[in-house]
Amino acid sequence: MAGPVALALVIGLAALSFIMRATGPFLPNLPAAITERTSGLAPALLAALVAIQLTGSHGILHLDVKVPAVLVAAVLAALRLPFIVCVVAGALVAATLRAVFHL
Amino acid sequence: MAAMQADRSVRQILQSAAPIAVAVFVFGASFGVLAVAAHLPAWSVVLMSALTFAGSAQFAALGVIAAGGSVLTAIFAGALLNLRFIATGIAVTRSLPGGRLLRSLLGQLSTDESYAMSVRAGAPGRPDGQTLLVTGAFLYTVWVIGTLIGALLGPVLGDPKRLGLDAAFPACFVAILWPMLSGKHAVRCAIAGALVALALAPFTPPGLPLAGAAIVGLWLAR
Repeated sequence: MAGPVALALVIGLAALSFIMRATGPFLPNLPAAITERTSGLAPALLAALVAIQLTGSHGILHLDVKVPAVLVAAVLAALRLPFIVCVVAGALVAATLRAVFHL
Repeated sequence: MAAMQADRSVRQILQSAAPIAVAVFVFGASFGVLAVAAHLPAWSVVLMSALTFAGSAQFAALGVIAAGGSVLTAIFAGALLNLRFIATGIAVTRSLPGGRLLRSLLGQLSTDESYAMSVRAGAPGRPDGQTLLVTGAFLYTVWVIGTLIGALLGPVLGDPKRLGLDAAFPACFVAILWPMLSGKHAVRCAIAGALVALALAPFTPPGLPLAGAAIVGLWLAR
C-alpha cells in the first residue's frame, strides 16, 4: 500500500475513534436518566464480549480451548480468588490443552 | 483525585493489570506482524496503533484491506467496532478530572480492558477514574511497543495461541463480570447483553453486536 493511502487509512480510523471516545466526556451535563443507566453497561458489554469471543461470527458456541479456559476463570472468580489468578489460570488451561491435544 | 472512593496506589493498579498487559503486548505484536504481511508500511502500522489504540477496530480495518477492500470501507468497519466507546465514554465522564476538553483527551484511554478494570475498582455506577487512566496508559504503552516489535520482527515471532494468550481476554472479562452479578439488574443486563450480541452476530458486521449489547445494558439498567 502506498504511503499516502496508508496515511489516509490511519488518520480516518484515528479521527472516528477519537470522536467516539470523546463524545461522552465532551457532552455537557447529561440528564440523570442517562447517566444512572450506565451501571447496566458493564455487565451487558462484558457478557457480550465473552459470548462473542467464544462463538466467532456465527453466533454458535465454537468448541475450542477458550471454552474450558473461560469456565475455569469463572469458577475461580466465583471462589473469590484474585483477578490475576483467574486470568493466568485461563491462559494456562488453553495453553495446556493445546499442547496436549495439538489443537 | 483525593475524593476518589477507592484510592488505590498506582503500583497496585499496575499489578492488577499486568497479566492483561502481557496479553495486550502479544495482541499488539500479532497485529504488527499481520499488518506488515498485508503490505501496510511499518510506520503506518505503528502510527495506527498509537492513534487508534483499539485492537479489534484495527484488526477489522486490516481485514478489509487484506481482503482487497477500499480504504473507506476499512475505516467504516473499524469505526463500527468502536461504537461502544460512545457508551463507555458516557459511563466514565463523571470519574474523569478537568473540564470537557481535558476529559475528552483522558477519555481516549478507554478500552474494554481499562474500562472493565475501572468498573471493578470503583463504586457501583461510578468507575474509578485513576484506575481507568493508569491501566489505560499502561496498556497504551505496551500496545504501541508490541505493535512496533511485531512490525519489525514479523514472522520470527511464534504463534501467541500456543501460550493461551487469546484465552486471556475472555478469561479477564469473565473474571471481572462475575463479582458484578450481585444484583437482579446486573444479571438481567448481562444475560440480555450476551443474547443480543449472539442474535446480532450472524447478520451484522462486527461491532454492531457489541453496540447492541451496550444499548440493551443501558436500557435494562433500572
